[in-house]
Amino acid sequence: MGRKVYLDTAATTFVSSEVLTEMLPCFNAIYGNSNSVHSYGRDALAIVDRARDRVAHAIGAAKSNEIYFTSGGTEADNWAILGIARANKEKGKHIITSQIEHHAVLDACKQLEKEGFEVTYVPVDKTGLVNIAEIIHAIRKDTTMISIMAVNNEVGTIQNIKAIAKLAHEYGIIFHTDAVQAMGAIKLDVQDMEIDAMTISGHKIYGPKGSGCLYVKNGIKIDNMLFGGSQERGKRGGTLNVPAIAGFGKAVELAVRDMSINQQKIKAEREYFLKNVKEKIPYIQINGHPQQKVNSIVNMSFEMVDKESLLMLLDMDGVAVSTGSACTSNAVEESHVLKAMNVESEFANSAIRFSFGKNVSKSDIDYAVDILVKSVERLRSISAFTKAGRK
Amino acid sequence: MYSKKILERFSNLSYAGGLRGGDGTGKAENGNEVVKVYISVDERGEIDTIKFKAFGGVCTIVACDIACELVEGRTLSQALALTAQEILDVIELPENKHASAHLAQEAVKLAVEDYFEKKEKEMKKKQ
Repeated sequence: MGRKVYLDTAATTFVSSEVLTEMLPCFNAIYGNSNSVHSYGRDALAIVDRARDRVAHAIGAAKSNEIYFTSGGTEADNWAILGIARANKEKGKHIITSQIEHHAVLDACKQLEKEGFEVTYVPVDKTGLVNIAEIIHAIRKDTTMISIMAVNNEVGTIQNIKAIAKLAHEYGIIFHTDAVQAMGAIKLDVQDMEIDAMTISGHKIYGPKGSGCLYVKNGIKIDNMLFGGSQERGKRGGTLNVPAIAGFGKAVELAVRDMSINQQKIKAEREYFLKNVKEKIPYIQINGHPQQKVNSIVNMSFEMVDKESLLMLLDMDGVAVSTGSACTSNAVEESHVLKAMNVESEFANSAIRFSFGKNVSKSDIDYAVDILVKSVERLRSISAFTKAGRK
Repeated sequence: MYSKKILERFSNLSYAGGLRGGDGTGKAENGNEVVKVYISVDERGEIDTIKFKAFGGVCTIVACDIACELVEGRTLSQALALTAQEILDVIELPENKHASAHLAQEAVKLAVEDYFEKKEKEMKKKQ
């Protein structure tokens, strides 16, 4: 088997050994139902409690009971949007979000629209930044919630969350943020940043898939999404996935503990990658904010090259990257994020997301860049946008 | 997502690239995808060289390569009769990618039509 390099950590990460060590006993040694009253149940509950404390501590929550474990980021986003909007509908039925949110938020908003809610999707500038003036402009008397992601998953732009949360509170509006890509990349303190509800996922931070949580500040009204049990303070029925929760708690703890060292390493990877690519490949464009961005994500367009074909050529040589959006039809669908940023379609259709992680070596990057150079040259040589006689 | 056969073809293209001084060029578009087919025709009216260039996804590139293979050495009228189904018969594309075969077929047809138009102009000039 040939060499493989994984540059898609924004899609998912491997489970780190420390996280796995935390999880393993929960599959067989400590297998009780955390809701059972006997010792097996109490042992499992102790693990869940410890994970909850770890997450609460890591994000600066006032109390551990503000952490509700979920099956991941999508559930937490869905729950925040639907649960908070529905629970506060007596106050109003207007929600504000941005055009570049993850579909877990956007599609939940679409569902609310079907239920008679109104949603304003505020635009972003060409760097992917939400303009606060646009939010002020969108606020109405019946606005009950603003949901803006902390870090965009396609281009890595960091939003001014604290300022938006403060603004929301000036108008008595609840503020939710999808912090799936932000965890471990930037400092998150829910009290300092005045966040009312926040989504975190485990598998982006070296935790297990199917794990995550929704932080909900005590006092914030939120309707149930799942019914049928007293778990999670009666807010989310269903037997707790103790191994996933144990792993998630550890992953969050490590993400915060090791943030500085991981970010230093990832920043170095990113800079080395960019330096090499810029030297070796002409006609490229980097999408996203030039400074206000996470280190781990590089979104880059290669003129005259189709993103899907490039992704597949890279994959054939073992380099895993992402286009950042799914292709649903023959005409490759444009990314809603790049579209909202007004990235010209020729650049949007040639945009690839590279995302770096703590285990990428310099030689991995050397290999990936070599393959990238070869693949881009190959596709440009057969591109309909280059001259007929060009070989 | 894609079959092994599609990916194998994608990594071993036989007709990708430009053709300098061809006799006909066909350009077809679908959404963001653009395909160009270049042909040169011999004195017997048969396509002796065919190449394509594409800005498009894997299936479009593969469909173009197959379309070129199917009409190489054929007469112009046979090339005009090429159908998308013939391309799909060679390689099965996912259902939502069938438009790739139509795009490739369209580009071949337009290349032949371009050849005829050029010939007609030449004839008129001579007259």
